[in-house]
Amino acid sequence: MSTSVATGIEQARKGVGVAGAGPRSGGPGAKRRGPSRGAATLVYFALPSLILLLLINLYPLLYAGMQSLRQGNLLALGPWIGFQNYVNVLTAGWFWDGALFTLIFTVVGVFGSWVIGLLFALLLRTKIPAGPAFKVLLLLPWVVPTVVSATAWNWLMATPQSPVQILIFAMTGHYVYFLADPTLAKITVCLFKVWISFPFMMMMMGSALASVDTNVYEAAKVDGASAWQTFRSITMPLISRSTFISWILMTIWCVNDFPTIFLLTGGGPANATSTLIVTAYRTVFQNFDTGSGTAIAFLMTAVLVVVSVVLYRQIRKVNIE
Amino acid sequence: MAQQSGAAFTRRTFIGVAGGVAASTLLAACSRGGTTGGGGGGGGKSLKFWNMPWGGTTFAPTDKKIATGWKGADGVTSVTYQNVPWANFTQTFSSAVASNTGPAVSSGGGTQAFLFESQGKIAYADDAIASWESNGLKDDFLPGLLDTMKVDKGYAAVPYNLDMRVLWYNEQLFQQAGAEVPTDWQSYLNTCAVLKKAGYYGFGVAAGAGAYTGGHILVGLMINNGGGLFDENHEPNVVTPENTEAIEFVLEAVSKGYVDPGSVQYTSDNGQTQWKNKKFAMGWEGAGNAAAIGGDVGAAMKIVSPLKSDSGKQGMLYFPNNIMMYTNTPSQKASNDFLTFYYQNMKTLWTQKTGIGLPPLKSITETPEFQSDPNQVKIIKEYQPISHTWAAPGSDSLFLGVTTVDGTPIMDTFAQSIYGGKTDAKSALTTLQNGIKDSLAKLKS
Repeated sequence: MSTSVATGIEQARKGVGVAGAGPRSGGPGAKRRGPSRGAATLVYFALPSLILLLLINLYPLLYAGMQSLRQGNLLALGPWIGFQNYVNVLTAGWFWDGALFTLIFTVVGVFGSWVIGLLFALLLRTKIPAGPAFKVLLLLPWVVPTVVSATAWNWLMATPQSPVQILIFAMTGHYVYFLADPTLAKITVCLFKVWISFPFMMMMMGSALASVDTNVYEAAKVDGASAWQTFRSITMPLISRSTFISWILMTIWCVNDFPTIFLLTGGGPANATSTLIVTAYRTVFQNFDTGSGTAIAFLMTAVLVVVSVVLYRQIRKVNIE
Repeated sequence: MAQQSGAAFTRRTFIGVAGGVAASTLLAACSRGGTTGGGGGGGGKSLKFWNMPWGGTTFAPTDKKIATGWKGADGVTSVTYQNVPWANFTQTFSSAVASNTGPAVSSGGGTQAFLFESQGKIAYADDAIASWESNGLKDDFLPGLLDTMKVDKGYAAVPYNLDMRVLWYNEQLFQQAGAEVPTDWQSYLNTCAVLKKAGYYGFGVAAGAGAYTGGHILVGLMINNGGGLFDENHEPNVVTPENTEAIEFVLEAVSKGYVDPGSVQYTSDNGQTQWKNKKFAMGWEGAGNAAAIGGDVGAAMKIVSPLKSDSGKQGMLYFPNNIMMYTNTPSQKASNDFLTFYYQNMKTLWTQKTGIGLPPLKSITETPEFQSDPNQVKIIKEYQPISHTWAAPGSDSLFLGVTTVDGTPIMDTFAQSIYGGKTDAKSALTTLQNGIKDSLAKLKS
């Protein structure tokens, strides 16, 4: 890219026009609002709800924290064992198997759905016939409840009489057991996640793309930028804030996604598709081991907080730039 | 009533109402296993009875009619009936029992009573059962059934309906394939080979998510061979010659292609689809399999008599589902009286064919309605006497430890590894043994 084109694009990306940057909002002239009597009244009004919310959210959290430090079951907290549950979980092979598949499931879920969502968002910005109808159809996987989608996928693939199986048999002469083979089951579950998630990414990216000033593209065009240069140096940076936010949300949803896996494979075959959230559920409600189950949940929360903080810092970095 | 104006609804009123709501919620959470008035009618307290949807659509209304027909005395005069869905039922019961808002009497999961018993939440049924000696109810139970509920301190529950695992075959497909009904393990494999040539599976089973039959059949075949999971001290004893032989028998069936490769992930519905589509000609399922399949295929379904294993033994796994009483009751006498009333009147659940499992009482199995189904009669006559519980071979009395294998991830993983065929018997059994030991250690601590 030539220096003049690069400089022009860089200026355009930062929203700096020929006349320079406009006045910043919130400057010295901006009117500041201090706490007023009205605000205090509002706080008083909100107080009962806040107390109830704290009771509803904080109490279970503290109770779960206590459970993770004890060896109990669904009916009793059990004896205090300190961090032994965490040690047991972190030294168990099945935990790391679950953690690895959670990572794979999350990475594929986040980036797979983002790539497809972005592609569709870009496609829908072009003038295609029946665009609104396509938008509605593309939203269906997101709109339809997961329980319905999972049942539909099971019906499509599970038995030799399933439509996909019939098609594959007609083409190859063999049945492919998508949910019975551990590797294929992992792939299927990840694909299912991408399929139900890409409409959300499409909406996020679509709205981000819509907010980009078309003058910026025109300026880049005048500067002689190619389509790829425009996408890489203008579109991507300008939608990066929405991208990071959607990554954070999708990461949290993937890590905490219980129904997708539980309904499609139940974590099988032979634990192949058991993510940490499924493992935590099965540990608590099928093994009645509340200590280990809640310990897994807290470890997941800790990892999610770290990932979210890292991604939020990226957003701040984008804002500063 | 006049509508309250916005001006009259002060901050103080708002906070007062919010506080009132919060207080009433807290108070509601502290109620006991009975309610006053509502639901049961009358002026006295009512007894909470929770039952599961054991049958089809007619089950709950029929059951409610039976239960609410009880009229008590001494302050507890009626029953409040609640049908609890199977979805998340463990959480439903656990949270209710832990917060003392649960039922006074209920059915539930087959091993639920033993978990609650270990926490001191169960009222033993000894007094009720003792009172049944005089009215003949105690002797009416099928042989050995009551003892399956006996723990050290007494009867944790009372058998209610039986969930059996049996070997089914499709008579039409057998005739088409020229297959013979097997009598022992070797003839079973021979029949599977004949069926395979005709394009059918002879070891039909569903071992996927939520379909626990896969694990049940493996343990059933261990019991068939004189083995099982627990010794007489209720300790896991899984890696035995009997169990190894049984698992090797299944692995042979897997390796020879008698087991549908999809079985590993088949739900119960997928399994029924395979029966309906005539892919399964023989396989393992519950007693209600023919009714669930329905149609022409359902009508062609027959029961294979219990197989003799290589060691010459017979046996299978069964689940005596049960009704339990809780210590959280407005009156233990009322709980006992209701239980007696319910067992004396529950016959219509079977005579009206509501879809509930097999009956625990001989008198019900002798009714013309029950006798009209030859498959059910054969199961009661041939399978029930040779069937054992999870506690086998050490005993038949269920105990807390069986909760480590009943529908647990350990058992699921074990079953899926066997039907996947990518393991050997000893490794899989050793993993199972270690898993049960770990879970037991946590339960006991």
